[in-house]
Amino acid sequence: MPTAPVPDLIPAIPEIWVGASALALLLYGVFRGNKHTREVAWLSVLVMAVAAVLMFAVQDGRQVTFSGAFVTDDFAVFAKSLILLGSAVALIISQGYIRNEKMERFEFPILILLATLGMMMMVSANDLLALYMGVELQSLALYVLAAFKRDSLRSTESGLKYFVLGALSSGILLYGLSLIYGFSGTTNFETLAALYSGPAAESPSIGLIIGLVFLIAGLAFKVSAVPFHMWTPDVYEGTATPVTAFLALAPKVAAMALFARVMVAPFIGLLDDWQDVIIVISMASMVFGAFAAIRQTNIKRLMAYSSIGHMGFALVGLAAGTEKGLQGVLIYLSIYLVMNIGAFAAILTMRVKGTMVESIDDLAGLSRTSPMMALGIAIFMFSLAGIPPLAGFFGKFYVFIAAVEADLMVLAIVGVLASVVGAFYYVRIVKIMYFDEPAEPFERPIGREMSAILTGSGILTLLFFIYPAPLVGWAQTAAAALVP
Amino acid sequence: MASLWQGYALPGIIILLQILAVMLPVMISVAFLVYFERKTLAAMTLRRGPNVVGPFGVLQSFADFIKVFFKETIIPTGANKVVFLAAPILTFVLAMIAWAVIPFSEKLVVADINVGVLYLFAISSLGVYGVVMAGWASNSRYAFLGALRSAAQMVSYEVSIGFVIVTVLLVAGSMNLNDIVEAQRTIWFAIPLLPMFVIFFISALAETNRHPFDLPEAESELVAGFQVEYSAVPFVLFFLGEYANMMLMSALTVILFLGGWLPPFDVAPFTWLPAPFWLIGKIIVLLFVFIWVRATFPRYRYDQLMRLGWKVFLPASLLWVVLTAGVLVTFDWLPA
Amino acid sequence: MIVGAIAFYLFAGMIIASAVMVIAARNPVHSVLFLILSFFNASGLFVLLGAEFLAMILVIVYVGAVAVLFLFVVMMLNINFVELRQGFLQYLPIGGLVGLILLIELFFVIAAGITDPEVVALASAPIPPLSDLTNTEALGQLIYTRYVYLFQTAGMVLLVAMVGAIVLTLRQREGVRKQSIARQVARTREESIEIKTVTPGSGI
Repeated sequence: MPTAPVPDLIPAIPEIWVGASALALLLYGVFRGNKHTREVAWLSVLVMAVAAVLMFAVQDGRQVTFSGAFVTDDFAVFAKSLILLGSAVALIISQGYIRNEKMERFEFPILILLATLGMMMMVSANDLLALYMGVELQSLALYVLAAFKRDSLRSTESGLKYFVLGALSSGILLYGLSLIYGFSGTTNFETLAALYSGPAAESPSIGLIIGLVFLIAGLAFKVSAVPFHMWTPDVYEGTATPVTAFLALAPKVAAMALFARVMVAPFIGLLDDWQDVIIVISMASMVFGAFAAIRQTNIKRLMAYSSIGHMGFALVGLAAGTEKGLQGVLIYLSIYLVMNIGAFAAILTMRVKGTMVESIDDLAGLSRTSPMMALGIAIFMFSLAGIPPLAGFFGKFYVFIAAVEADLMVLAIVGVLASVVGAFYYVRIVKIMYFDEPAEPFERPIGREMSAILTGSGILTLLFFIYPAPLVGWAQTAAAALVP
Repeated sequence: MASLWQGYALPGIIILLQILAVMLPVMISVAFLVYFERKTLAAMTLRRGPNVVGPFGVLQSFADFIKVFFKETIIPTGANKVVFLAAPILTFVLAMIAWAVIPFSEKLVVADINVGVLYLFAISSLGVYGVVMAGWASNSRYAFLGALRSAAQMVSYEVSIGFVIVTVLLVAGSMNLNDIVEAQRTIWFAIPLLPMFVIFFISALAETNRHPFDLPEAESELVAGFQVEYSAVPFVLFFLGEYANMMLMSALTVILFLGGWLPPFDVAPFTWLPAPFWLIGKIIVLLFVFIWVRATFPRYRYDQLMRLGWKVFLPASLLWVVLTAGVLVTFDWLPA
Repeated sequence: MIVGAIAFYLFAGMIIASAVMVIAARNPVHSVLFLILSFFNASGLFVLLGAEFLAMILVIVYVGAVAVLFLFVVMMLNINFVELRQGFLQYLPIGGLVGLILLIELFFVIAAGITDPEVVALASAPIPPLSDLTNTEALGQLIYTRYVYLFQTAGMVLLVAMVGAIVLTLRQREGVRKQSIARQVARTREESIEIKTVTPGSGI
């Protein structure tokens, strides 16, 4: 009997570690019961931290393993750092909520851990099948998380809605993948890149292009870009707030990074064919995100439209299809992550007399009841609006520069206009906080972890402009790893 | 024309004869099995059992068959006619086609296929449809309850049966039934894999809906469960199917764990007897155990049944799969 | 070979016919039964291809387990299909259009697969000849080497599904008396019975 060659496991050590730890924690949780949810949660955070350390320890340029299904390079490391950061922070800021709302079940951190594993697999995918499996692992965990607060009708409804639409989009994605496979005869990114770089790229078969469009549609759903955004506001509003925070953080980054990888790594030769599609969904997302958010009264719903808009901005960088553009995407995602961490941490502190509130009017007069918090939210809102010199401005700056350099003037102009419109609703929140009559004050104190995270992300957002070089440089190396 | 005869007709006729050569003995042995069961149960409960028809009542079963055969086939008004009649046929056919792969000796097998074990496993997993269809089509509460119980029960125990089979496959290194038997020349698998043997036999009881897991028909609560509306020929088919299944599961146990057609010791007095004798002998011993269990144990409660399947057998068999694989790899005993 | 061809058309025809019946049958239980028939014939096609392992697995997994649960649910739910069907004609044009587009694309794929030699060359053929290995071994060698990553990920996906199902549905009911077999077995004579000497005429 021939002995099976053992694949090189070293590049995948972080994933293996996260997967194995998730199983171990699951056993721990089952045996210790729900009373020990807090321990499981902190252990999960520890697992993610260790995974990050492992990831940097084994990082060594571009490594491909598992018969070409798995790749780790600077791009993957960059994206995974953001994902691990987002997931860990989402888990930390959810602790208080979970305790107060009697949602203490040990599966919550474990599902987050498994979703994180799926996201790490997504950004490391080097094969259409690996891509799909990663997406499924992540999505399935997210569907369950969305319905996690099962005694709440809205949470269950949002979970169901997310599941049905998500399953449909997975089907579309899979159909696209199968078409691509059918027309190219391979699922491997490198082979695809070789196949569609030379003369074959001049006249790709129509079937492949259709497959690519299906693929883009499926992924656009995952990043909630218009016109595949319908689930976002409902799911964000209905589900438990920490889950909303989680949904807005890591999965967005992961899906966007995956989007960038799958468009650029195998199909950069077909840039002319897919660029227009990306431009259209990018413009639509930016414009729709800006206009639809104006009338919102619920802060979670508002954040949903905001995230649709932000994904539109990130797609601008991808539409450029250049190294500069990808660098812009990565910078944008990093800054988006930090701003949203702050914003959602703030939303999670909105408790009045033992219940969560999520209306924008509840923020009224916050500057008088808790000035520091109001200042923090104001920073995040200004940054989300993209007002210089806050971090959010630089995110937009880099993607627009890339778009202009790639001769996409119209896209850049639409983007700037959309961010002007978008600024209106962000600034409205600041106005409500500073100039309206105070509403019921929020419960204080908010806890040490919360204040630490709020302060940290606030400072990062505020002072990013002083020393942006490390992030910009790192993003450049990461982007260079992807573009041949 | 000659090629047609040589190529198709002749093999076809041979196959037909082979099928008959297996099916008829199986059906006749069902008759004797029923007699055997009644006599054994009678002996265990200090009664006489059938003793009127023929010498020692041997022909009792045949008399019963003839009686039931000539009764009127009653189809309930609310019943779904097609499904109602298809169910017993399905049960009967499944119980018969499974015998195609049972090796009675090294050469004596109708179809010596590569994946014999999987074939048997697949056929036995289909058995549930006969029960479910019968229960649903009868349009009767009792029958429906029986069908529901049966569906859950058979699916549950199939899982652990599957793992037991995997263990045997690991040790034997083949899915061909003859190869599995050959692999037991040195030692019957029942000895090194004793816990799996026990699990398999108990699961076989559940899979055939036999006591103490006869909840689908549970006379005292469900009258006769899924069979309650059946009479005459369809009932006979069910009856034949169930007993043939019992023999089949015994045969499978013998092949997987008790050395199939191999004699217990590979020395002179034992090797004189032909191989089929040993297989049939071992099957009869196991059938006796089936009946013995029936006479001894009270029926399980439904939650106990589920608990045993999912919380005891499944983890235990899973553990044994891993353990067996580990031992085989560690000591380099993997079959070539 | 004529028998093989007849068998192929029989199985293929039955698959299509029963697939049509799945959506055409009025009774949902009949639909499931036709679905099972269709699975069964698909496994027949696998046998014709010489993939007996896949054929058996199809029967065991889909027919023996998945479809049983399907049937179980359908029988319990008592769905009124006539009601479900009400919008059928209304959505038929758009549904038919989508189906037609997908069908045309499938034809594209098949055409490209036949004509493009580059594609044929690229499609890796890691399957060893049947004479060397049984297809069970061949499958095992592919799944556990080349596709081990995907295989393991699929395991994780199924684990998430299981955890999810338990999280969303399991409710610990209060006040249910559970049987503890260990406790029952560990019961001793001393702790369960007490012998009292009853003097005549006084009662206990």
